[in-house]
Amino acid sequence: MSTATIGNRFELTSQQKLMIFILSMSLYGISNMITELLPQFRVGPVELKVEYFIFIPLLFAILFNPLYAALGACVGELVFGELLLGQFGGVSELEKFIEFSLAIFVAGMLVTDPRNKRQLAIAAYVAIGIDQLLGTIVDIAKVYIGIEDLEAVPGLPESILAIEGFSFLNAMIVSGTLFSLLPIIYLVPRLYGKVEPLLGMKPRDGRAKVSVAGFVTPRFIIVAILLFVVAGAAEFLSESDLELFTWEWEMDLGNIGLWLSLAVAVVIFIATLLIIRKKRKTNHKGETIV
Amino acid sequence: MELTKTTYKTSFLEKLSVERIKVELLRTAYGHSLTFLSKFDPRILIAWYSFFAIVPWFVHNKVVLLGMLVAIAVLTYTSKPSILVLLILALGLVSDAAYMLVVSLLFGGGLSAAWALSTLTLKLLVIALASIAVFSSMDPEKLSDGLLSLGFPAQFSFGVAYGYRMLPILIEEYNNILYSYRLRGRGPERKGFLGWRVILYTGKLSVVAFYPLILNTAKRTRTTVEALEVKGFTYAMKDPKVKKIKLSYLKILPRDYVFLAISAVYVSLLFYVGSHYHL
Repeated sequence: MSTATIGNRFELTSQQKLMIFILSMSLYGISNMITELLPQFRVGPVELKVEYFIFIPLLFAILFNPLYAALGACVGELVFGELLLGQFGGVSELEKFIEFSLAIFVAGMLVTDPRNKRQLAIAAYVAIGIDQLLGTIVDIAKVYIGIEDLEAVPGLPESILAIEGFSFLNAMIVSGTLFSLLPIIYLVPRLYGKVEPLLGMKPRDGRAKVSVAGFVTPRFIIVAILLFVVAGAAEFLSESDLELFTWEWEMDLGNIGLWLSLAVAVVIFIATLLIIRKKRKTNHKGETIV
Repeated sequence: MELTKTTYKTSFLEKLSVERIKVELLRTAYGHSLTFLSKFDPRILIAWYSFFAIVPWFVHNKVVLLGMLVAIAVLTYTSKPSILVLLILALGLVSDAAYMLVVSLLFGGGLSAAWALSTLTLKLLVIALASIAVFSSMDPEKLSDGLLSLGFPAQFSFGVAYGYRMLPILIEEYNNILYSYRLRGRGPERKGFLGWRVILYTGKLSVVAFYPLILNTAKRTRTTVEALEVKGFTYAMKDPKVKKIKLSYLKILPRDYVFLAISAVYVSLLFYVGSHYHL
């Protein structure tokens, strides 16, 4: 693994990275189970709910290392919020995975000084903003590119636009303020300097400043945009046009169509695996550039 | 009316969930239940699951989806899933479907919209049940070793196994911290409109309680990682020989192939039937 080659920035050993990963994973996993169980409040079509406790991975991203905090949180959500509770959504989870880790990662990199409250506030809103905005864009684009069943139904695209717009606002106001801004402002200064010794680390200082400038290179931005496009494409593929031509083929070729559609599914499965792997690798590559 | 409804719901869920979750999670983490699916190799199960987690998204034929649903429902039944998990699943599906229906009715879509959306619900159900069936019949070691042998990083597969084991403990700890905050603190005197003061108070507690939990978990994580390093975890995992020894007990037996073959035949039959009949 290439993890061992990183290390001159925060001077984290691979054991410390493992600690950050485990910490972020298990705590975010718990919070995910809690948010799954929280009741949602509904007034007609308007829904108020707690999306997630985004402050937990963000805390670790700010205090320790953004990359491992983001990866840990994604794994925690995947395993405890989804697989264990049977809420796994297939390919479309890939999109969420990438959006979420990107949001946490970028927000974590923005903070150079954990004691600076303005930076913390910006990071809190940036994290939830990136995640929700990307999700909303993909969802709305999905409707316009066309899910075949929905297009036939009058009124549904508009209603989905309304739902998406509202859920975005709801997430920004409710989750963004109550579960991102306030907890970050409250918890980060209290944990700063206290939790690091427990993991055998020094508190992160101004040193991080250098790393941010080194990190946000054009290459990193391009990789981030590419990842998002890939995620969006995976999402579209899973729900839109692909199905149309497989069934048309099947009409003509009968049994062969079945094998074609199976083969397409297998190819997509392998492609997603490769994408996940590639994503990991590109992330590591991104970090070694100083 | 709204007020009584919501407060009842919260307290009911609270009482039901915390104890229940702990028991259910402990059972998932430590119970070596001998279910039908647990007899198979984890890699085979993961491959089988990834088929059923992905393929339903590309199928819009209700006949095929219904056929998959029947088979997977039977498998889920044999794997004795926890009632809590099923309850969460049912609640989520029902409320989602109802919500979409209400909205599409409001915007004039009518019942045809509901029919169109039922395909989506069917897909979600197949995927969710497949995941419940597979993951509630695999114990954490098997799952993590399966992932490891499929080439996932050791950190990831260790994290999964560790999380399975630790989660009940962490939930209990979180619950205790919440109780102690409640004992020492003072709840709101008036409930306010729709009980918003109570909701705000509960929300604040649930966030603040993470502060001690983070510190405790950090300490515990360090202990765990130190214990792992005593065993040479980081270095051992980079060594292919160690990985080979660790995973030597995983063997794909003839029955695994039979299971895969039967599944493949069943799915092909479904697609064949589905290409002739449409619902």
